[in-house]
Amino acid sequence: MTAQLAPLAPAPPAATRTVEKRRRTGRRQDHPAWFLVPALIVLVVFFFVPTIFNFVYAFTDWSSFHSQINFVGFDNFASLFGNGSLLSDLRITLIYAVLVAIFQNLFGLILALVLERDTRINRFARVAFFVPVVMSALAVGYIFQALLKPAGGLNQILSFVTGQHVTIAWLGSTTWTIVVVALIHAWKWMGLSMLINLAGLKTINEDILEAARLDGASWWTTFRSIRFPLLAPAVTFNVATALLGSMNGFDIVQATTAGGPGGTTELLNIFIFRTFGQGLFAQATTMSLSLFLMVTILAFPVIYFLRRRENVL
Amino acid sequence: MKIAWKGAATVAAIAAAAALALSGCSDPGSGGSGSGATTWPAQDTKLDGVNLTIWAAQNSNKTADSVISGFEKLTGAKVKVVTIPDPYEQGIQTKVATGDKPDLAFWQPTASELTALNATQNLQSLQGAPWVKNYTGNLGDMTGILNGTRYAALVTTPAVIGVYYNKDVLAANGITSTPKNWDEFIADAQALKAKGVDPFYEMGGDKWATQWWVQAQLADAAKAGLWDKVNSNTEKFTDPTIQGAIDNYQKLIQQGLFNSDIKTATFVDQGKALLDGKAAMVMQVNSFFGELQATANTADLNKKIGFFPISPKGNVGTFIPDQSNALVAFKTGDSKREAAARQFLSYWLGDGYNDFVKAQSTVSLIKGVDTPSDVPTALQDVAKSLDTSVGSMQALAVANPDLYLNLADMIQGTKTPVQVAQTTQDQFAQLAKAQGVKGF
Repeated sequence: MTAQLAPLAPAPPAATRTVEKRRRTGRRQDHPAWFLVPALIVLVVFFFVPTIFNFVYAFTDWSSFHSQINFVGFDNFASLFGNGSLLSDLRITLIYAVLVAIFQNLFGLILALVLERDTRINRFARVAFFVPVVMSALAVGYIFQALLKPAGGLNQILSFVTGQHVTIAWLGSTTWTIVVVALIHAWKWMGLSMLINLAGLKTINEDILEAARLDGASWWTTFRSIRFPLLAPAVTFNVATALLGSMNGFDIVQATTAGGPGGTTELLNIFIFRTFGQGLFAQATTMSLSLFLMVTILAFPVIYFLRRRENVL
Repeated sequence: MKIAWKGAATVAAIAAAAALALSGCSDPGSGGSGSGATTWPAQDTKLDGVNLTIWAAQNSNKTADSVISGFEKLTGAKVKVVTIPDPYEQGIQTKVATGDKPDLAFWQPTASELTALNATQNLQSLQGAPWVKNYTGNLGDMTGILNGTRYAALVTTPAVIGVYYNKDVLAANGITSTPKNWDEFIADAQALKAKGVDPFYEMGGDKWATQWWVQAQLADAAKAGLWDKVNSNTEKFTDPTIQGAIDNYQKLIQQGLFNSDIKTATFVDQGKALLDGKAAMVMQVNSFFGELQATANTADLNKKIGFFPISPKGNVGTFIPDQSNALVAFKTGDSKREAAARQFLSYWLGDGYNDFVKAQSTVSLIKGVDTPSDVPTALQDVAKSLDTSVGSMQALAVANPDLYLNLADMIQGTKTPVQVAQTTQDQFAQLAKAQGVKGF
C-alpha cells in the first residue's frame, strides 16, 4: 500500500549542467562501480520489489479468504472501473493534491519572504515553523481533529472571544471539509517549502538586486520580475513534491475525518486501506496500482512544465 | 567495462526481483500444523515454561485479567495480552495475512468474520470442547461455528440490537408500557415528538451505529431466511426487503424523529443525551451500555435506563456477537502451545468462569454459574432476549459489507437510499466472489 513513493523532483539545473559538462569531457573514474551495491540493494528490496509485487498481485485473486493465489487477468480492473467508487475517490485525491500544492507553496513562499533576513528572531521562527514537518502526521491529524470538533478548542476560543456559544462543526461540511484537511496538510508541510524557498532566495545574486534597486524598482516589481522567476528551481521542487506527495496522502485525513463526512474526503489511499481491511488484498493492490499510474502520468507533464520555467536561468 | 557492468547489474536486479515476485506468489499467511483429532487437556495440567499470547482490542484488553491470573497460578504458564490498536479486525487480518499469529485472540465469532480470518487454515478446531454442553439456552448453537466446525469460544453473551430508553422520559410523557411492534414503536415516537422531546438519537458523526436501524427492521425477515437468500444471490440489498428498510430509515430521519445534530453527533454524545433525558430512545448494542456505565453507577442505571428488543411484527431482537464476546485459538505450529491455548479456554469456561463473571460483573452463560447481582437490569434483559432473537447481517451473511458507512453517507446527504443499497450490494458481491461463494 505504501510501496509507491512520489517521484523525486529533478536535481536543480545548475547540477544538471555540470553533469552534462562532465558527460562531454568523459566520466571521472573516482570510484569503483560496486560502491553502488549497498544502495542498490536497499533500492531493489524496498522499492523495486514492492513495486513489481504491486503489478503482479493486481492480476490475482489474493485475499484473506483462501491460501492459494490464482491469476485472474483483468478481472479486478474491470470490476473496479465498473463501480463508481474508484473514479470518485481518484477525483477527490486529485482535488486534495491540487489544494495542498497551492496552500503549501503559498504559505511556504510567504514565510520565506517574511523570515528572509538572518536575524535572531527569524532564525527562531524558522525552526518553529519547521517543527510540524518533523512531527508525526497522525499526531498532527488527531490534534486538529480535537481542535476542530464541535466542542473542541477552536470553538471554545471563538466562544470566549465572541461571548456566544459557538458550535461550528469544522469537519462537518460535505463541501468544505476537503479544504480544511488540505489546509492542515499544508500547515504540516509548509516549513519544508519555506526552507527550500529560503535556500532559493539566498542563491539570487546580490548584484542583480542592487542593480534593480538603483533602477528604482519597488519591492513588488523586484519580486515579480526578478526574484520569483529566479526562484524557479525551488518552486519546481516544492510544487512537484507537494502535488505528487499529497496524492499519496493518508495519515492526516484518516486521523481527522477518516474519509467523512459522507465520503467527501475519502482519498484513494483511505479506500485502499478499507478494501485491504475487508480482506480483499488483490483489489486493494489494483487500486494502489492505479494510483501509482495516475501519479506517474501526472508527474511527467507537471515536471516538464515546471522545468520549462527554469529556462530563464 | 562500465557499460557491461551496468547491463549485467540491471539484468541481475530484474532477475532477482522477478524471482522474488514469483516465489512470493504464495500466501505468506498460509501454513500451520496439520489437523488431527482435537484433544482437551485437563484444566490443571502443569504448563511450566509455556508462554501464551492473547491479542485483544482496546476495549477487551482487560477482559481476561482474572482468568489469566487464575490460570497462571494453577498451571505455571505465562499469559501475555497484546493490545492491537483499532480498527482491530483490519489490524489482525493484516498481521495474519503476513504470517504473524498469536496463540489466542478476541474475535467476532460470526461466520463472516471467521471466514475473513480463513478459519479452516489459520484457526484450531474447537470441536468437542468440554464446555459446550454447559452453555445456557441455545448459545452453543448460536454462533462460533463455520461450515459445521466450531472455531470460536463464546465467553460473554452476544450483543443484541435493540432499544435503550430513558424510563423517566417515557413515563413523564404518558408512555407506560414498551411497544409491542414497530407500529406502536413509531406511534410512541410521534407522541414524544408532539410533546417536544427528541424521540430517537443517532450518532451520524461516528457512523457505526447507523446500521442497527436497518437491521432491526429486518429481524422478522431474517427469521424467515433472508440472509440465506442473500448468501445465494437470490435476494439482493437492492430488492424491496432491505431497500425498504433503508428507505424507511431515511423517512424517519426526514420526519424529524431524530436529534437535529444527527450528522455530527458522536457515540459519547448519544450516551449523554439518553442519560440526561435529552432524547427518549436509542437503537444500540451492548457496548452502548458500557458507555453509560462509564458515567453512571448501576443503581442510577437500573432506575433510569431500560431495554426492549423491537422488530416489525413484534419484539424479536437481533443478536450481533462482537469481538469482545469470544476468542479463537490459532494454529501456530507448536503443538504444546496449541494444547495450552485449548486448556486456557477450558479453564476460562470451566473452573475460572465464576471468578470471571464476578470480576467483569457480566451475565453468565454457563449453567451452574450464577449471574452476579450487580449486573444492571438492562443487561439482564438483553441476555433474556437472546433466546428469541435472530442473527444479524454480521452473524448470518457470508460477508460483512460497509453498510454502516453507506448509511452514514446517506445521513450526510451524499448518497441516496438507492445508492446505499447498490454500493452495499456491489461490495457484498465482491466479497462473496473473493470467498468463492456459489452464485457470485
